[in-house]
Amino acid sequence: MQLDKILHVEDDESIRIIVEMALVDICGFTLLACDGGQEAISQVEGFTPDLILLDAMMPGMDGIQTLNEIRKKPNCLNIPVVFMTARIQDSEKQEYLAVGAVAVIEKPFDAMSLGDRLESIYQASLISQEIHNQE
Amino acid sequence: MQTPVFPLSETERLTALNNTGLLDTGPEERFDRLTHLAQLCLGTEIVLISLVDSNRQWFKSKQGLDACETSRDISFCGHTILGDSIFEVADALLDSRFADNPLVVSAPFIRFYAGVPLVCNGENIGTLCFIDSKPRQFTDKERDIAYGFAKSIEQEIIDRLQEQAHEQLTASELMYRSVLEGTRVGTWQWNVQTGDIVLNERWAEIIGYTLAELEPISNETWAARIHPDDNIKSSTSLQEHFNDENPFYDFKCRMKHKDGHYVWIHDKGRVISKTSNGKPLMMYGTRADITKQKNNELDLLQSRDQFKTLVANIPGVTYRCNPDKKWTMLFMSDYIYSLSGYPASEFTDNYSRSYVNIIHPEDRALLDKIVQESLLNQTSWVFNYRIVHKNGSVKWVEERGSAEYDSAGNVQFLNGFIQDVSKQKKLQDQLLKLTQQLPGVVYQYQLWPDGRSAFPYASSGIEDIYGVKPEDVVTDASNAFSTIYPEDVPAVSQSIELSSQQLTIWEQEYRVYRNDKSIIWLSGRATPERMPDGSTLWHGYIHDITQTKEYYLQLEDLNLQLNVTQQSLDLASEQAKIGYWHASFEHGTFWWSPIIYQIFGFNAEDVVPSSSLFKNSVHPDDIDKVLKSEQQTRSTGIVNEVYRIIRPNGEVRWVHELGQLVNKELNPDKIMIGSVQDITERMTLQKIKDEFISTVSHELRTPLTSIYGALSLLQSGKIATLPAKAEKLVEVASSNCKQLSRLINDLLDIEKLAAGKMLFEMKRLNVVPLLQRAINDHQPFADLHKITLTLHVDKQIDELFVYVDEHRLLQILTNFLSNAVKFSPESGSVMLSATLTADEIEIAVQDQGTGIPEDFKSKIFGKFSQADASSSKVKGGTGLGLALCKNLIEAMNGSIDYSSEPGCGARFFVRLPLSV
Repeated sequence: MQLDKILHVEDDESIRIIVEMALVDICGFTLLACDGGQEAISQVEGFTPDLILLDAMMPGMDGIQTLNEIRKKPNCLNIPVVFMTARIQDSEKQEYLAVGAVAVIEKPFDAMSLGDRLESIYQASLISQEIHNQE
Repeated sequence: MQTPVFPLSETERLTALNNTGLLDTGPEERFDRLTHLAQLCLGTEIVLISLVDSNRQWFKSKQGLDACETSRDISFCGHTILGDSIFEVADALLDSRFADNPLVVSAPFIRFYAGVPLVCNGENIGTLCFIDSKPRQFTDKERDIAYGFAKSIEQEIIDRLQEQAHEQLTASELMYRSVLEGTRVGTWQWNVQTGDIVLNERWAEIIGYTLAELEPISNETWAARIHPDDNIKSSTSLQEHFNDENPFYDFKCRMKHKDGHYVWIHDKGRVISKTSNGKPLMMYGTRADITKQKNNELDLLQSRDQFKTLVANIPGVTYRCNPDKKWTMLFMSDYIYSLSGYPASEFTDNYSRSYVNIIHPEDRALLDKIVQESLLNQTSWVFNYRIVHKNGSVKWVEERGSAEYDSAGNVQFLNGFIQDVSKQKKLQDQLLKLTQQLPGVVYQYQLWPDGRSAFPYASSGIEDIYGVKPEDVVTDASNAFSTIYPEDVPAVSQSIELSSQQLTIWEQEYRVYRNDKSIIWLSGRATPERMPDGSTLWHGYIHDITQTKEYYLQLEDLNLQLNVTQQSLDLASEQAKIGYWHASFEHGTFWWSPIIYQIFGFNAEDVVPSSSLFKNSVHPDDIDKVLKSEQQTRSTGIVNEVYRIIRPNGEVRWVHELGQLVNKELNPDKIMIGSVQDITERMTLQKIKDEFISTVSHELRTPLTSIYGALSLLQSGKIATLPAKAEKLVEVASSNCKQLSRLINDLLDIEKLAAGKMLFEMKRLNVVPLLQRAINDHQPFADLHKITLTLHVDKQIDELFVYVDEHRLLQILTNFLSNAVKFSPESGSVMLSATLTADEIEIAVQDQGTGIPEDFKSKIFGKFSQADASSSKVKGGTGLGLALCKNLIEAMNGSIDYSSEPGCGARFFVRLPLSV
C-alpha cells in the first residue's frame, strides 16, 4: 500500500507551507495541515490519515499530549506517527520513540527528500505492524 | 781281700738310707740300749748298728768300739747288705775274702763277724753286726736273738721317723696356728659327705659370736648367715672347685653379723681328700674379715666413680702428664673424645698417640714456649691454640695449666684443664667482623674517680670516629676527647658525669673535629656499670650521624615547605570551596579537610568521617551511581563523579568528586587522595545553559527549517523557475543556511559531549565501507572545488575491526574531508587512507593545502579555532569541527593528531584500537 494521506500538525506556519509544498506539490500526497494539537484531534477521525507528522514542541498541547489524545480515538490506534523536532537531545528522541512514534525527523530537514523519507518510514511501519499482527 | 760289690738297687738303697735321717746324728738311747742288750745277750766284744753309706759305713750305735766309721771297701757289712740273711765269718784269718783285711790284721783284729741286714722301705740300709777278736760261730738260738734285735732296731728306726714326723707336724701346726691367730683368720674343716663342720673361735668371732653360741655347728650355721645375694654365687664357686675348674674355692661374700649388719668375709679353701669314688671328702679352709678392706675398696671405687663423673661432667679435659717433650699423658678425662675424636685411652702413656700430635702444627712451638717459660718462672699458663680433630676439623681450645714440683723444685707433673672455646672463638671472630662492619665504634669506656679515663676496648671504628687507633686510647682516653668540638665539651662532660653518678644510660649527640678540620656529628649511647675499684665502665656505641643530621635539617626545611604548601592549599581550598580528603582502602580510615565538613553541612566536632557517614549523605537517586563508581575505582584507581548530597538540614547540593590512588609502588596502605567541590551553583548555571541552548537551538532551527526548506524547494526548480540572478541569490542564501545549521549542530554536539549527554551506539565494524561512503558523500563537494578524492586502504584492513559509533566516526571523517577539500588548492587531491599501526587502525586524510602554521599548532583542537580568522568566512567553517572530532574520537577510546609542514599540506588522523 502506498502512502497517501498525511496529517501534519505544526504550529509554525512557515514550516507548514514548506511541508505542504514538499509533500503535496513535489510528491503528490494528500495532506491535511493542522496548526495545533486540538485541531488535529478533531480532524483525525474525519481525515483518517495513513501517517501523522507531528511537531514535538508546540504551545498549549505538545506533541506527546496530542499523540496520547489521538490514540484514544477509535481507528487511530495504529496510525504511524512521525515526530519532528528541533531538539536533538538523544534523551528526547528516545522519549518520543517510547510513547509510540515510529520515527523522529530532526529540524532542519531536507525538504526535497522529506516525501521519500516518510514513504519509507510508512512502508517500514506497515511491515512491522504485519509482523505484530501475525504474532 | 775281697772288696764288697754294690747291690743292684744301690741308688734306691741310698735314698732309703738318707730318708731315715740317721746319718751323722748323735747317739741315741733307744739304739744304744738295744746294742748294749745284744752285747750282753750274745757276749760279743763289739755290737754295732752300721749304716752303709755310699763309700763308708757309719755307726749309729756302737758297743765296744771307739771308731765311728770305716771305709766301705774294707767293711764286712758291705758284704752283709748284699744278702737277705745273716752273714757270718767264723774266722776271718781263715777266710780268703778277709784274711788280709786291715780290720783283721790290725785293730780291732776281727776274727768273728756276724751281720744281720737292717731293712727300711725294702732296702738294706745297714746292719746290726756282732764282732769278736776270737773265732766263733753263732748257734741257731743266737742267730734268732740277732734277728730279734735287728727287727727291734728296724722298728726303732720306723718309730723314730714317725716321732720325728709327728714332732715336725706338731711344730708346723703350732706355727700355722700361731700364724692364723696372728692374722686373725678363721678356719674351718668341712666333711663334705657328712656335713660335719669344725670351726675355730675366730670364725665365730668374725660374725660377732663365740663358738659356744653357734653350737650345734652344722651346714646351717653357715648357710643361715650368708647374704641371700651371695648364696648362689657361693655354690657355683664351690662346684667349680669340686669340678677341678679352680684349684681353690675362693669367694668373697657377706655374712650376717650378730648385730644384724653384714660383714664382708673372704673364704679360701680346698678339698684335701676325696672318697674312694672321687667325691670330695674333706675340705679345709680359712676365713678372713675383709669388711674394712671391702669398704675401703668400695669407698675407693665410689670416690673414683665420683671423680670420674665429676671429671666427665666438666666440659673440658682435665689431664696430668709428664713434663717430657711429648707430654706423655698419665691421665686424661673422657672429654678428650668429644674434643679430638680419640678416646682418652689412646693418649694415656702415649698408648697409640701423643697429645702433642693433635695440636695444630702451627701452634705447637708457641705452646711449648709458653709452657717452658711458665715452668721456668713457676707460674701457671693460659693459652688458646688449635687442635686437629680426628675428622680433620680444627677446634680452638683454651688450656689452663700449672706444674707440680717436688721439694727440690723439680717439675714432677703438669696438670691442666683444656676447654673447647671454638664457639667463643667463633663468636669472638664474628663479633670482631660485625664490629668492623658497624659504621661506628663499639667500645668500653672507663672513668676512674681520680679523673683518669680510658677505652679498655674499642673496635677499629674508633679511627673513623675520633681519628685514633684502639691501642692509642687503651690506657688514656684524652687523645680521643681532644677532638670534641669545644662548644660541645661541657655537655659531653656533664652527661658522662651524670651517667656515672646515677648509673643511667649515657646518650649524647655532639660534634668532633676530623683530621681535615671538618666537623662531624656523633651520636653515642652507653650503659654504665660500677666496678669494684670505684670506677665506672660504660659499654656503648658511637656512630657518625652527620648524614642523618643533614637529612634532619633538610627534613625540617621540607617540613617548613610542607607547612607553607599546606597553608596555601588550605587557603586555596577555603577560597575555592574545594575540600580534600584521603582514605586508606587497606585500613578503612578517612580524613576530610574542613571544607568537606562545610560542603556536607557537618560540624567537624560532631562527626567522624567514615564510609557510612558519606554514603548516608548521598542523594538516594544518586547512591547507585556513587556505589558503582566506587566499585570501578577499586580497579581503575580513579574517581570522577558528579552527584547530589543532602545536608543534615535537608538542603540538596551538587558535588564533583575527583580522586586517585597514590602511586601504587609507594602505597602499601592503598591510600587514595581526592577532592570534593560544591558545584551546585555551576550545576544550576549548567541547567540554565542547557535549557538556554535547547531553547535557542529550537528557536533557531524552527525558522531555519523554513528558510532551508524554502530555499531547497526553490533550488529544486520544481516549484518555480527562477531568473538566473535570483537563482544565484538563492544559492548564496542556501549555502549560508547550511553553514548556520552546521554551526548550531556542532555547538549542540559539543555541549552534549561536555554534559555527557551524547549517546554512542558502539558497534564492532570494518571501516572500509564507511570510508567508501565518506568518499562518496564528499564527491560532489570535492567536484565543486575541483579536488580529486582518493582512497587508499591497506590490504589487511579488510580483515580487521574496530569498535565505534558508525555515525560519529563518519562525522569525524566528514569533518576531515571537508576541511581538506576546503583548504586544498584547486585541482589538488585529497587522500583518505587506512593503515595498520601496531594494534591500532589509523585513518588519515592528507591534503595539499598550505599546512598548519607553527603558532597555531597548540590550539588547533580548541574551540572556535581557525588559523586565519578571516578564512572561516571564505571557507565556511565553524571553528568547532576539530574540537568536536577530538571529543568524539576520545569518547570512542581513540586518539587524534595531525602532522604538517607549512606549505606541504596537512595530514589529520585518528587511531582506533583494534577490536578482537
